[in-house]
Amino acid sequence: MFTLPQKESKAPTTCPGPASTQDLDSNHGDGLERECSRKPDWKLPEFCGGGDPTATASSDSSHLSSRGSIIKWFWDSAEEGYRTYHMDEYDEDKNPSGIINMGTSENKLCFDLLSRRLSQSDMLWVEPSLLQYPDWRGHLFLREEVARFLSFYCKSPAPLKPENVVVLNGCASLFSALATVLCEVGEAFLIPAPYYGAITQHVYLYGGVRLVCVYLDSEVTGLDTRPFQLTVEKLEMALQRANFEGVKVKGLILINPQNPLGDIYSPGELRDYLEFAKRHKLHVMVDEVYMLSVFEKSAGYHSVLSLEGLPDPQRTHVMWATSKDFGMSGLRFGTLYTENRDVATAVASLCRYHGLSGLVQYQMAQLLRDRDWINQVYLPENHARLKAAHTYVAGELRALGIPFLSSGAGFFIWVDLRKYLPEATFKEEMLLWRRFLDNKVLLSCGKAFQCKEPGWFRLVFSDKAHRLCLGMQRVRQVLEGKSQVPDDPASCQSQESGNQRR
Amino acid sequence: MSHRLGMFRMPSAQMRGQGLRNQRIHTHLMEMMLHLKQTIEKNLMHLTTRHLQQDLVLEEQRHSQAASEQEALLGHLMYQLVNLLQSGAMGGLGLQPSCPSLDVRRDVRGGQWAQSSRQPDWPVHQLSDPEATFVSQHLSSRGIDISALYHSSFQDYKIYQRDKYHEDKNTMGFINLGLSENKLCLDLMTERLSQSDMNYIEDALLQYPDWRGQPFLREEVARFLTYYCKVPDQLDPENVVVLNGCSSVFSTLAMVLCDPGEAFLIPAPFYGGFAFSACLYSKVELILVHLDSEVTDANPHPFQLTVDKLEQALLEARLTGKKVRGLILINPQNPLGDVYSRDSLQEYLEFAKRYHLHVIIDEIYMLSVFDEFITFHSVLSMESLPDPNRTHVIWGTSKDFGISGFRFGVLYTHNREVASAVSSFGYLHGISGIAQHKLCRLLQDREWIDKVYLPTYRSRLQIAHGYMTKKLEALGIPFLNRGSGLYIWMNLKMYLDPCTFEEELLLHRRFLDNKLILSRGRTYMCKEPGWFRITFADKPLLLKQAMHRFYQVLSERKQDLIMKQLENAQRE
Repeated sequence: MFTLPQKESKAPTTCPGPASTQDLDSNHGDGLERECSRKPDWKLPEFCGGGDPTATASSDSSHLSSRGSIIKWFWDSAEEGYRTYHMDEYDEDKNPSGIINMGTSENKLCFDLLSRRLSQSDMLWVEPSLLQYPDWRGHLFLREEVARFLSFYCKSPAPLKPENVVVLNGCASLFSALATVLCEVGEAFLIPAPYYGAITQHVYLYGGVRLVCVYLDSEVTGLDTRPFQLTVEKLEMALQRANFEGVKVKGLILINPQNPLGDIYSPGELRDYLEFAKRHKLHVMVDEVYMLSVFEKSAGYHSVLSLEGLPDPQRTHVMWATSKDFGMSGLRFGTLYTENRDVATAVASLCRYHGLSGLVQYQMAQLLRDRDWINQVYLPENHARLKAAHTYVAGELRALGIPFLSSGAGFFIWVDLRKYLPEATFKEEMLLWRRFLDNKVLLSCGKAFQCKEPGWFRLVFSDKAHRLCLGMQRVRQVLEGKSQVPDDPASCQSQESGNQRR
Repeated sequence: MSHRLGMFRMPSAQMRGQGLRNQRIHTHLMEMMLHLKQTIEKNLMHLTTRHLQQDLVLEEQRHSQAASEQEALLGHLMYQLVNLLQSGAMGGLGLQPSCPSLDVRRDVRGGQWAQSSRQPDWPVHQLSDPEATFVSQHLSSRGIDISALYHSSFQDYKIYQRDKYHEDKNTMGFINLGLSENKLCLDLMTERLSQSDMNYIEDALLQYPDWRGQPFLREEVARFLTYYCKVPDQLDPENVVVLNGCSSVFSTLAMVLCDPGEAFLIPAPFYGGFAFSACLYSKVELILVHLDSEVTDANPHPFQLTVDKLEQALLEARLTGKKVRGLILINPQNPLGDVYSRDSLQEYLEFAKRYHLHVIIDEIYMLSVFDEFITFHSVLSMESLPDPNRTHVIWGTSKDFGISGFRFGVLYTHNREVASAVSSFGYLHGISGIAQHKLCRLLQDREWIDKVYLPTYRSRLQIAHGYMTKKLEALGIPFLNRGSGLYIWMNLKMYLDPCTFEEELLLHRRFLDNKLILSRGRTYMCKEPGWFRITFADKPLLLKQAMHRFYQVLSERKQDLIMKQLENAQRE
């Protein structure tokens, strides 16, 4: 369906989705895949070479290179959705009829705690070495702190080493750098879909690397025990198909806890995936950016770093950041942990382009060091608030009779709205998405995550109760075909107080 | 060894182009052999010291770590050597060896030379699949390349990091005057950044930002540049893109203005970070516009950039089928310190317009002009730009405010297409919201900047520069005195015999042996051997110590040269 930059047909915004670039980007990813329905294993080189995007884009501009035109197109399609939301952002007082954002995966529940902590006097430390050229891998004091932090929270059998840590300005940069140093242009990573779609852009912009989807089904078949289950069999098949098509696959990307599914891989599953990768000499990039956002204790999360004896430690690269777990997506702090010194060095040599301020590095070290605050204040409160918000939204969905997936991790619920599509097409999905937006609530549609079944949506619940309540009201209105009914803020106020206490 | 390497040289005038390339291979080999030697020596030393300190477990660990690092380095060097030799063999010596140069400074040189007949994308590995596995079975060939560049370029800097000079604690440590870092005002900056207005948190700073930079910061940048660049009209915040450093800005511009293999013109000598950025991510070629030190009718000032030279380089490049997309200018220039006059600027821009070239103009030293008789003219101050849609200005706080660790770079362009395309990279080059707030406060504080910071900064620059130039004059060393920047471009040709890049490297090594790091001309792609850049933006005490070491090396070197002359005379 998507949204190539075509001149004649003013392409629909697609699910420009989410207001925040984060999800917008997912759409872009989407945009690359023009004929996805016919050709699920879309190929970027095709798109770059013969496809219209290049042609159209480059003829549009006398100033940009042809790759520049493609790059710009990423931004433009982001802009489109961004504008819609930002021109009419919800504000309790100033714009109560503005758009509620349930599309961007951001944790807005703990700003009070965070800003209090970040305002404490220990954070305001300036010294000359922080202002000068750094060690591009990250200041040693921070890498040491990251190693200690991950050793503790990932429950690593042996202490992790600071030499294996590289610090950059966010996981996006990390995807970009890893793609560049592990793959040649045109090579690929496997990724189970649906997935956080912005990765498409991250690995493509500089790296020219593409993603090969391992499509997962909602239907539970064979030995599956749950919908969208990732199995080694599916991985094998996707890899074979890619090989058959002449696509060179260099690695596998795993997101754990998964985004958008919220799935948590068991140690057994993890090991299976890693063994699969080892068999085929694939690198595994495990994105554990939601690892501390598991709010359901019973879910039992296991970091890949907790495994005794990794199958292929030299090809296992772990990513973590504070964006999600500490609700600071604007802080731009991400970290790589890899035992492979070559990879660490290669990534570090790109860090000149992905560095973060020394002062922020200092603050991050202070934050990660403060185990008392994290364990006794932040994490319990964050988990309680996430759980309360989740309970509320899940309850609303149940009341509406809407099936959904959620395993007690992450900031979102993967919602099955297939029954609301008159036809099972992505066009209908987008129309529904647009109806939500018209009714002033922004969601992300499945297409943005490369989901192969139309009708799935990701709904972010990590927001303040009154906004959630209004958002859910608007969702309900659309689904019940009563979009015109005005909101009832009063009911939300009362809900809120009840909700706050869980 | 030097005899054998000497065989490569071809003095014939017609073969000059060829000779230059050979010389490069020659120099590269030389660099690597020296590096290898050093690494092996260190390894041996490590083995012996380890023997002595076996009881210390910690020491042991550190040693084995150092050993593995050295092993890795050895691997990389061997690999590069093999590669070089191979490329030499296959290309009949005419092939460009685009191995990274061994640079002391962090601004690494990519070593892409435009004269080459071939310009492979990732040149080092082009010919050498078998070698790829030699270094790492895990990285892509471009990954290996990136890694090798890092190893060769950062090794000396790593040594410096481990053994830094300190006036009390480590008086025998390395003094680094090879890096262009402004250390004159760290006291002022530390104090300003510690004030309470800097520590401010709000929701928006912790959330996903506008990837072009937070609006409040872009507005402040527009106001700041309007004022300090003396812009006739108010600059538009919509034309501002903020990224984490000027290298990032350049890297993204190279991506969106050029396709792989296309080229930018750049006057040489130039700041080598451009070569690094051009080859690392964007695979863009740099066509050098070589400038001469010798003053002639056509060259009224040393290293003067003229439109003729630009035109000639452009036409030559076009003859070889190169697609040149733009021109890179650095103003004030690094390493020359030149400040372009308004007329020169206008001419360069007109030239670019004639040939539809983009102009990327890096004004990162714009507030570091300390000679009151010299006026800096920002390209933004021009009444009407010849080709505004192809003129892109870069600025950052690293040099002018001495906060290179802050990671902040700005693009100003009238071209919305370019701004949008660059913004796509915001994700990969974003700055923390907290840092954006601090930068905004800093740029906003005009009173402090104008009354406290700039006057102090400039007078300290003047004093340090005065001290350094007096020392150089006393030694009879020619240098350029341009009144801007943090460094001096000086000519040590008289200490080279013969005047070659190998000798330049040897002299550089002598400085290193005496714990002094300078940067040598070749890393700026200077075509004449013997030029060095020395940074003076440091504390007086440190400069004094550095100049002492500098003097020691040169006087020893002088002795050697005299001895050599005597020997030669005797032989005759």
